[in-house]
Amino acid sequence: MKNLLLGSSMMFIATLGATPSMAQIGEGLVSEGQISENLASQQLLARIISLEEELASLRTAVQQSTQNAAIAREKADIAVATVTKVETKIVKVEKKAKSATYSGSESDAKWHLAGYADVGFVGSNNASGNDSFVTGKFNPGFHFQYKDLLMFESELEFVTNSDGETTTELEYSQINLFLNDYATLVVGKFLSPIGQFQERLHPSWINKIQGAPAGFGHDGLQPTSDTGIQLRGSLPVGETRLAYTLMMGNGPRLTSESAVDTEGTGRDDNSNKSFGGRLGYFPTPNIEIGGSFLTAKVNSYMDPAAGLPFVPTGPTDSRYKLWGVDGAYTKGAIAARFEYLNSTRASLFTVTDDEPLGEIVPTLDMEAWYGQISYRLSNVGGSDFIKRLEPVIRYGQFRINGQDELAEENAQNRFNIGLNYWLSPTIVTKAGLEWRNSIVAGVDSETRYQFQVSYGF
Amino acid sequence: MTKRKIQMLWLGGFATITTLFLTSMVSVSAAPAKKAAAKKTDTMQIVRGAKAWKNNCSRCHNLRSPKELTDAEWDTSVAHMRVRANLAKADAEDIVAFLKASN
Ligand code: HEC
Repeated sequence: MKNLLLGSSMMFIATLGATPSMAQIGEGLVSEGQISENLASQQLLARIISLEEELASLRTAVQQSTQNAAIAREKADIAVATVTKVETKIVKVEKKAKSATYSGSESDAKWHLAGYADVGFVGSNNASGNDSFVTGKFNPGFHFQYKDLLMFESELEFVTNSDGETTTELEYSQINLFLNDYATLVVGKFLSPIGQFQERLHPSWINKIQGAPAGFGHDGLQPTSDTGIQLRGSLPVGETRLAYTLMMGNGPRLTSESAVDTEGTGRDDNSNKSFGGRLGYFPTPNIEIGGSFLTAKVNSYMDPAAGLPFVPTGPTDSRYKLWGVDGAYTKGAIAARFEYLNSTRASLFTVTDDEPLGEIVPTLDMEAWYGQISYRLSNVGGSDFIKRLEPVIRYGQFRINGQDELAEENAQNRFNIGLNYWLSPTIVTKAGLEWRNSIVAGVDSETRYQFQVSYGF
Repeated sequence: MTKRKIQMLWLGGFATITTLFLTSMVSVSAAPAKKAAAKKTDTMQIVRGAKAWKNNCSRCHNLRSPKELTDAEWDTSVAHMRVRANLAKADAEDIVAFLKASN
């Protein structure tokens, strides 16, 4: 019985002890349906929420893309408007281009405005020479071309001189008639084809040194221009070629200093024409060797206002002869040039500054030459600045025999060194030193400092 | 013979020589002119032009970039240079073709 009691009490205790778990089980059993329902609905809820979120973000995305689309449409509208505007502008520009400046390459007539301008500064150690800014030159050039047949070219020169006066000169004005493959006929006022400096090297964007070599400029021994006709072109000689220029013109006149006036004239002072030309031969494309000559008759100088105040005691005309040789070697950055000219004006009776009633002046002999070498440092390694530099050196001489005043003024040895800086192939800044040593005893020598900016356009 | 007559003889002689020279040249030039027309868009012409440009156009001054001028400007400028630099027509044409292809 005691065992039964013990057993039953133990069972009771055990039952009591087990109650919570029983209760748990009971509870579990009771709410299992509820829990799974809850879970499902919660999952559903979460799903709905996430769907809602997704929907919301989709909605904003849709809204955004609608907005974007609107912006894009706006932009597209603007773009279309711009394109239309540009198109109308292009049509307008095309119309303008056809009617104005450059008349399209298909048209028969074309024209081109070119030329050059320069400004500078010249300083001198000479007592009579002041350091001064020089206005330099403005030389507009005009080219009008009709098909392959004809070209009219002309160049004006505007200069302000030391008195503040601006002078205008017609450098040249010529019609070029293209005759055939090898010949062109030139009619009008043209630059002297004698030698190489006058016709080819004098524009300041081409000339490597400020100013002409002694004897080759406006006070030189060579006429700078003439009025007449030229026949010129190129002839093939095997693999090489020969450049030729033949000319006939009014010829030069005498100055009151009994020297030859360098400026070509529009009317001949005698009906005797000047006759001359140049031949240039190219043994290789880098080398040119040239020879030139000119012969003309010159009449004694007369002041047009003074009429004929004299009774001649000798011939009133005489022969002027000019000949020269020149050579050039140009390869890449190197240019070496040489030129020699020799002129003779025979003795004649003429009016001079010293003798207003006329006198017999002796034969006037002049001789000028120069050699020049320049080297652009474009192949020398180093900075862009160095590559644009070009040192240049020139030495020349001008001799005058037969007119002492001219000789005192101009006969000299002239030595130049310079350093050029090329901003572009046709824009150059030149800095240089020039030593002028008179050949005539007793005349001071002079050192000049030169600075120039030139632009060929 | 008077001076005047000698002058006239000079002039007449020059004119005759010129005319003779020109007429002989015209017959010479007729054939190459036709050839030139046929080779308009020839790439060989551009190659020839490049060489002629290099050989001729830096003799007196620096070479300018082909881009510096328009086609029409190159036409007039090279015609100008043909006279100044005593170039044969064929060379001038080749040079223009090269410049126009490169600008
Ligand atoms: C014989 C020397 C010489 C040669 C060779 C030469 N030029 Fe010139 N060039 C000049 C001179 C001189 C000027 C300046 C003309 C003037 O101002 O009167 C010039 C000017 C120019 C100009 C400026 C615009 C103009 O027409 O005046 C251009 C561009 C030009 N040359 C391009 C060329 C080309 C391209 C070649 C090769 C076919 C060439 N040059 C060959 C001497 C030469």
